[in-house]
Amino acid sequence: MAARIRIDQVWKAYPRWGGRTLREAMNRRLPGLLRGGDQRWALQGVSLTVGRGEFIGIIGQNGAGKSTLLRLAAGISAPTRGQVLMPDDTAAILRLGDLFDHSLTGRENALTAALAAGVSPGRAKTLLPDVFEFAELEGFEDAPIRTYSDGMQLRLAFGVLAQLRPDALLLDEVMAVGDVRFQQKCFEYVRERCASGAGVLFASHSLDQVARECSSAVWLESGAVRAVGAADDVVGEYREAMHSQTRDRTPPPDAEGGPLELRRNRFGSQEATIEDVELRDGLGRPVTALSSGMPLEVSFTLRTSGTDHISAPIAGVTVSRASDGTICYDTSTANEGVFLPEISGERQVSLHFDRLDLIPGDYFIDVGIYEAAWHHAYDYHWHVYPLQVLGTSPDSGVFRPPHRWEVADPVPSSTPRS
Amino acid sequence: MRPRAFAALVSHLTVRQLRSAHHLTLLGWGWPIARLLAQLAVLVFLFGHVLHLGIPNYPVFVFVGLVGMNWFSAGVSTAATSVLGQRHFVMQPRLPTSVVPIVAVAVPFVDVLFALPVLVVMLALSTGLTWGLLALPLIFVLEFVLISGAAWLVAGVSVFFRDVPNLVGVGLMILFYLTPVFYAASHIPARFRWVLYLNPLTTIIDAYRWLLLGTPAPGPARLAAVAGATVALTILGHRVFTRLAPRFADYL
Repeated sequence: MAARIRIDQVWKAYPRWGGRTLREAMNRRLPGLLRGGDQRWALQGVSLTVGRGEFIGIIGQNGAGKSTLLRLAAGISAPTRGQVLMPDDTAAILRLGDLFDHSLTGRENALTAALAAGVSPGRAKTLLPDVFEFAELEGFEDAPIRTYSDGMQLRLAFGVLAQLRPDALLLDEVMAVGDVRFQQKCFEYVRERCASGAGVLFASHSLDQVARECSSAVWLESGAVRAVGAADDVVGEYREAMHSQTRDRTPPPDAEGGPLELRRNRFGSQEATIEDVELRDGLGRPVTALSSGMPLEVSFTLRTSGTDHISAPIAGVTVSRASDGTICYDTSTANEGVFLPEISGERQVSLHFDRLDLIPGDYFIDVGIYEAAWHHAYDYHWHVYPLQVLGTSPDSGVFRPPHRWEVADPVPSSTPRS
Repeated sequence: MRPRAFAALVSHLTVRQLRSAHHLTLLGWGWPIARLLAQLAVLVFLFGHVLHLGIPNYPVFVFVGLVGMNWFSAGVSTAATSVLGQRHFVMQPRLPTSVVPIVAVAVPFVDVLFALPVLVVMLALSTGLTWGLLALPLIFVLEFVLISGAAWLVAGVSVFFRDVPNLVGVGLMILFYLTPVFYAASHIPARFRWVLYLNPLTTIIDAYRWLLLGTPAPGPARLAAVAGATVALTILGHRVFTRLAPRFADYL
């Protein structure tokens, strides 16, 4: 099996850019000469081979080096040490913002993209209708790119790509902006390329996608390969580690009684804690049960101990069904663009449901506070606060939105055909 | 990359750039020539009527100088920011970044071509047309190569030293006055004239005027020296650019 892309003991350092004024340049360069430079290692001794027909996913947290690895594989940036070998015929979709000239039309940009990918000008022109057909952007050919949404830009880029027959294909996160149906179309094209012997590298935050689509996966952590192997295994290992990260940071339980017990129903590093969780009805009275369709307020206090402070945390609330753990609703401040400022000391947070239209039954309200990038939980109370939803409806399912039936008056049947 | 493919890319990107520059303006393609004529009018008024320099056929004399000089200025100054301002080209795996500064040189060359009909009319109305017009492409090639060398050099270095585009702007402003555009080298005292001859544009503009207006020839020695210097600069510029290119993506 011939390798399509071979990345051999690759190290990559980025210079630290301070400011760019003369004074900062002097401050930076002069000591730099003495100390041998100030560098940040984005990749540290990564080796990876993509064979013919292989579709390899790259997973890892932000800053783990996924994008850097793809840039090197694309030959856009050179390794500081080590070697990267790739075929001449390599195609890539990297960051969206890097793809197009926003003042020009879709057609002009598609043409340029095709030419840049090595298609001759004559052939590029004949390919354009196919590009727009694949992209499902017929009618948008002459609109400037700045009027395209992110999803449309991705579709256009993929439309161009789908006309090429590259030996190696590099895809960065971008796939996430497309809708699910178009993603499937893209994956179909990728599988087709694999079948004809291309090698594919695909960086993604979507673990499900990697597990489902890729033949194998690489897990990057702080610029080094932490695991490599069958996609399912690596994704499973990664998931396990992400969970245990929260678990590892959870201090051992202390003797304190009460309903909360660390490592049983309370997790997180406890750098900040959730206290005084209270479920209230529409009048602000504490409740443990309420009728379906009535308002609910989930109120709690975030607290940091002593002089600690944490910046921009995320608070989340989950409603789950007691009988089987089904998550009925999950939301967070981050999901809804609510910004929690730095917490030092105490801060009260509450979530108001104008109506809680759940099917009558037993539920739990779980409450959590997380690091600004969802890196780990500070504190998470799991299945501690029960809520009984009351009602007489025998309906089944999860939620019971306000509704009514309507039966129209009878309409006389049309005259029979003669 | 094969030279033909390289040329095809340059011409495609040039047309695209011109289109985006002109597509929303009312005067469109007329703007470059309008700017040129405005500049010409100011210089002819100043040095043909206020401070009379005594050069025969002064308008067409200045026009030839302006066309040659403006191409150089526009090419080098847009090249300086060409890579910096178009990171989407750097991020294309199969696109040779070295086309980008050349596009910056080709775009103002189109302005030169648009100025040609005006030039022919002006010549016909003053000194008359000569066969020298047919040799013009030779000097175009020489100047194109010269600007390309400078363009590669400044475009590459600008990525790492963001002051370079400003420096280039100041340099070009000074160069405009140190090149015989609106005066002739003979106006400069003989003991300072060597300064002008260090500037390859002096020879190139002299060559244009020799071919079109029948002014004294720059002479084979000066032409050969400038051709040599041009080739040297271009090789240097290309070397520097290709050496720096692998690191562009890290700094953009």
